[in-house]
Amino acid sequence: MSSTSKISLKDQFLNGIIKENTIFKLALSLCPSIAVTNNLKNGIFMGLAVLFVQTMVNITISLMRKIIQPKVRLPIFMLVISGWVTITQMLMAAFVPDVYAKVGLYIALIVAFASILARAEMFASKNSIVPSMVDGLGMGVGFWFALTVISFFRELVGKGTLTVPTGLASQHVFTFINTKPVLIMVLPAGGFLAVGILMALFNWIDARYMKKAAHASH
Amino acid sequence: MTGKDIFKITLNLVIVYLIGGFILAFVYANASPKIFKNNEKAEQDALKLLIPGAEFKKLGDWTIHDKHAKYFEAKKDGEIAGYVIQSFGKGYSSYINTFIAVDKEFTVQKINILGHGETPGLGDEIETDWFKDQFRGKTIEHLKVIKGDTKDDIQAISGATISTRAVSEDAVKNGVAFLIKTIKEGGSTDVQHKQN
Repeated sequence: MSSTSKISLKDQFLNGIIKENTIFKLALSLCPSIAVTNNLKNGIFMGLAVLFVQTMVNITISLMRKIIQPKVRLPIFMLVISGWVTITQMLMAAFVPDVYAKVGLYIALIVAFASILARAEMFASKNSIVPSMVDGLGMGVGFWFALTVISFFRELVGKGTLTVPTGLASQHVFTFINTKPVLIMVLPAGGFLAVGILMALFNWIDARYMKKAAHASH
Repeated sequence: MTGKDIFKITLNLVIVYLIGGFILAFVYANASPKIFKNNEKAEQDALKLLIPGAEFKKLGDWTIHDKHAKYFEAKKDGEIAGYVIQSFGKGYSSYINTFIAVDKEFTVQKINILGHGETPGLGDEIETDWFKDQFRGKTIEHLKVIKGDTKDDIQAISGATISTRAVSEDAVKNGVAFLIKTIKEGGSTDVQHKQN
C-alpha cells in the first residue's frame, strides 16, 4: 500500500471511480445498493449520502491515525463511521426534514457499508489528510456514479419511468412507457441481474478503452 | 503483551469512545428540539391535507396490530367537521400506515398512505391517486375489495390484491369501525380503547 501514497491526487481520485470502483470492480456493499436502487431518485440521494460519510470518515481517521492503538483500530473505525452516520441523520432530520422523510431509512444502512470500513483500514489510517480526503471523494463519487447508473437502468427497464429529483424534496416522474416492460428489474432479484449486467458492461468498456489508453501512454 | 500495554490500549479506546459520545450528545442536544418540532409540524401538515382548513384536536390513542395509532377531531368554525384516524393494515410485506378522514356521518372523505414496505412496482401502487381516490364517499359497508371493474366498492390493484385488501378491509375498515364504536355509540371520546 506504500505505493498508493506516491501516486498523484488526480489518479487517487480516479482510482475510486474506475480502477477500484466499489460496486463494479470490488463488488462491495452490494446488498444496500440493490435495496435502494429501484428508482433513480433514491439511487442519487443514497449515493450522495455515502459520498459525504465516506469523505468525512476518511478525514477523521486520517487525523486520528497517530493516536489510534493498532490493536483496537477496528472498534475505533466503527465508532467514527457510526458517529458520522448518526450525526448526518440527526442534522438531516433537524434541517432538511423533507429529505430525511424520504431517504432517512437508507442513511442508517451506511453504518454497515464494507466499502467505508475498507477505505479507513486500507488508506486513511496510513495516509495524511489531503490524500485521504481525495480518496474518500473518489470512492464516494465512484459509488454515487454506480448507484445512479444502476437505478437509472432498473427504473427505466422495470417501470418505464424515471423519477428525477428537481430539488431537495421535490421530484418529477417522467413516464416513457405506460406499462411495466420488465417488472422483475425493480424487484430484488432484478437488482442482482442489473448489477451483473452493468458490472460486465463497465468492465468491458474499461478493458477495451481504458487499458488501451494506458498502453498507448507507456 | 504486558499489563502496561493492556492498560494503554484500554485507556486509548475508552478516551476515544468518551469523546465520540460527547460529540454525539452535543449534536443530539442541539438537533432534538428541532426534530421534535419538525415531526409535530409534519403531522399537522398531513392532517391539513386530509381536511383542509380545519383545526385538529387529538382525542386519544388506540391499538391495531399491536401498534399505537392516534385519532383526531376536526373542527371548522367551532363545529365538528369530521374525524381523522391513523390505522395500520397488514400488507404483503409490511404494515401499511394509513390516515383516514371521515365526515360526521363516518363516510370516508380521503385517505393517505404515510408509510409502507410493499413490493415496488406492484404493491406500491396503493400510493397512487387513482387508488386513494376510490375511497372518497365510501361508507363502511362499501370497503370490500373486488377484482375487476367496480364503482360501488374498491377495485383491486392487479398483482397486488393483498396490499389492496390490507388498506381497504384492514386499515380503513377497522379504523372507521373504531370511530363509529367509540364516538357514535360510545359517546365518550377520551377512553383508551383496545382493539384486536
